[in-house]
Amino acid sequence: MPLGNLASVSRFLPELAVTATILLLVAVHVVGKNRQSSASALLSLAGVGAALLLTALQPSMPAVSLFEGMVALDGFAVFFKALTALATIVVIFMSMDSAELSGKSQAEYYVFLLSVLLGMFLLSSATDLVMLYLSLELVSIPSYLLAGYLKGRKSSNEASMKYVVYGATASGVMIYGFSLLYGLTGTTQIAEIGRALATGKAALPLFLAAVMVAVGFGYKIAAVPFHMWSPDVYEGAPTPVTAFLSVGPKAAGFAVLVRFFYTVFASPDGAGGPWTLSSPVDWTLLFAVLSAATMTVGNLVAVNQKNVKRLLAYSSIAHAGYMLMGFVLLTPAGIQAILFYLVVYLFMNLGAFYVVILVANGTRSEDISDYAGLGSRAPFAAVSLAIFLFALTGIPPFSGFIGKVYLFAEVINRGVYWLAVVAALNSVVSLYYYARIVKVMFLEEPAEKAELAVPAFPRALLCLLAVPTLLLGVYWEPVIRVAANSVRLLAF
Amino acid sequence: MANFLSSIRFSDPYFSVLLMLVIGVGMSVAFVLLSQALGPKRYDRVKYSVYECGVDPLTTASVRVSVKFYLLAILFILFDLETAFLYPWAVLFRQLGWFGFLEMLVFLLILLAGLIYAWKKGALEWQ
Amino acid sequence: MEPILFILFGAIAVAGSIMVVTRKHPMASALYLILTLFAVAALFVLRQAHFLAAIQVIVYAGAVVVLFIFVIMLINVPENKLPVERLTALRFLGVAAAGLLILEGAVLARKTTMPGGTAADSGSVQAVGRALFTDYLLAFEITSVLLLAAVIGAIALAKKKI
Repeated sequence: MPLGNLASVSRFLPELAVTATILLLVAVHVVGKNRQSSASALLSLAGVGAALLLTALQPSMPAVSLFEGMVALDGFAVFFKALTALATIVVIFMSMDSAELSGKSQAEYYVFLLSVLLGMFLLSSATDLVMLYLSLELVSIPSYLLAGYLKGRKSSNEASMKYVVYGATASGVMIYGFSLLYGLTGTTQIAEIGRALATGKAALPLFLAAVMVAVGFGYKIAAVPFHMWSPDVYEGAPTPVTAFLSVGPKAAGFAVLVRFFYTVFASPDGAGGPWTLSSPVDWTLLFAVLSAATMTVGNLVAVNQKNVKRLLAYSSIAHAGYMLMGFVLLTPAGIQAILFYLVVYLFMNLGAFYVVILVANGTRSEDISDYAGLGSRAPFAAVSLAIFLFALTGIPPFSGFIGKVYLFAEVINRGVYWLAVVAALNSVVSLYYYARIVKVMFLEEPAEKAELAVPAFPRALLCLLAVPTLLLGVYWEPVIRVAANSVRLLAF
Repeated sequence: MANFLSSIRFSDPYFSVLLMLVIGVGMSVAFVLLSQALGPKRYDRVKYSVYECGVDPLTTASVRVSVKFYLLAILFILFDLETAFLYPWAVLFRQLGWFGFLEMLVFLLILLAGLIYAWKKGALEWQ
Repeated sequence: MEPILFILFGAIAVAGSIMVVTRKHPMASALYLILTLFAVAALFVLRQAHFLAAIQVIVYAGAVVVLFIFVIMLINVPENKLPVERLTALRFLGVAAAGLLILEGAVLARKTTMPGGTAADSGSVQAVGRALFTDYLLAFEITSVLLLAAVIGAIALAKKKI
């Protein structure tokens, strides 16, 4: 039984904290004098930190449906809220250090960032089509603004423009799929839609609806063939924004993908899975093919990239492909593997982008050729980047390896051997381009020998990102336990 | 035809809308046709030349408008949407009671932040 | 009466939207779009969705198209420099795909029963308002945050100096 509107407010504190911070940011900005001061960043940090703390208090509460069934408060939602809040905190620190963003008015930037965070909170817990669409837009629209935040830079304008056009098309197709589902069932509650569809036989409209919804979600996680926007957007957007988009909205996209498809098109055998397809539409095969295509395209195109941000964009497409493997298996272990991978991915991907920011602050360049000799110019940054890149490859002592082991193990366990083979081949390809950057950094002679200074504070933050990347490779027990406990989708 | 006419319900609230539509379209079409039919017709070069308040035009009529129009238009849309939500709220005001009042207050307060921001930034002024 | 009006406004909407995509000058397209939007609003009325019809006229025909027209006047491409669109194979493919989708929709509509919107007055202002301020309250309140971000975003993008 869903809680009423007033009764739900006390379980909605993280979202309220973010909303209050957004309003405070506007208020402080309006009365304040200095537009470039770091007051906005600090205020946002406090707000998101508070939201993270309030989220951390939520797992003990029993899973409930809030606001007359608009959103769910369950282990799954709490996990993603904590994950996205953590990513936002790291990105706020990155933004404070970025030379690209200094000198720009700050408050607006953080208003957009926190609006996206609120959208991600709601997206990972939405259980109603209306809420789902609204929160997806709340993630998307401020993301467009963030991508185009450097108004004077042409590539930033291009990024924003392409993002808007692709995003509007994808969400248009998605909402058409939603309307089909509403038409078939007469309700906007995804749990009720799932129940109604389980009894019916309308296979063709269902398949159409599933494909259309997959377009919208596939766009958010940048899965092939809905990935075309991501390289240009990732390259043109300010680097902290790129880092944010590659982790936060992608994670929230996976959250909504799992919750939606596992509720509407599948039903659990008991609490917390495993799930069985509840309709004649076998969307798992569709997504298995998408998964293989996504990782293959991402990795193959990444090989030829000359710009680091573009390379990391294709690499993040490939990682979405790996994570999709866990999605098609319909088992709790598959979801658990995705959740664990997302945690690992957060540290290693944000870490890699952070080094890109620090290098660009010194060299004003994002070309791989300008990373030559970074091993001698800025050894600390170079070693950290090497750690993050090897972790992204998935080489044994690093955390990325453990993430992949859990994904591969469950794929093989369920007997989808062809997918495991494709993914293994892809990992080999990815080693080539990740290792190439490491080779450029340590083995090639730099054009300029001057040392690149990395101040103390960024060093500390790099450590904070590198330590989990290493530690989760040898001691991952607590995180995998949290992930296992978080595979709790609210059942109605 | 008789069947069609008998199917019209004159008590229908939309009947007046239809009536107004018919009269409005009918009048404008009628005036155009009437002036065409009754007006004197003299065609010459001067009559067909372009003019602007009696003098020859200096530039083309389609000038590039300022981006300020865009900002005003988009702010208009956003606050227009806000009013669109007020409309069902006003209809239900008595039924919703104090809780409904509170709901709208929260909605408006959040948007008020946007209005104050726009005001402070001079987006509402035409410098 | 109703089928006749439906066919009338449906025809206006279809003709209007064909004009929107075939006109050479974008301004003409925008004006035909207003016609299409009004015709669709009339169709909403025929389906008893009164609130939706009002919103369609107030927000879409009244505000969104005005924005379109301002943008067209802002970009202001001279008549002789308007791009000439060619009939490429891709365009034919697009039209074919759209036709297939419409056909599919028609087949679906005939073959499956759609129980959506069961209540007779579910589209009236009162019914929409009641749903909006009770069941969908959270969505309503979150809309204000989205609008706030949009207001700030519009100003941040369009103002030379913020």
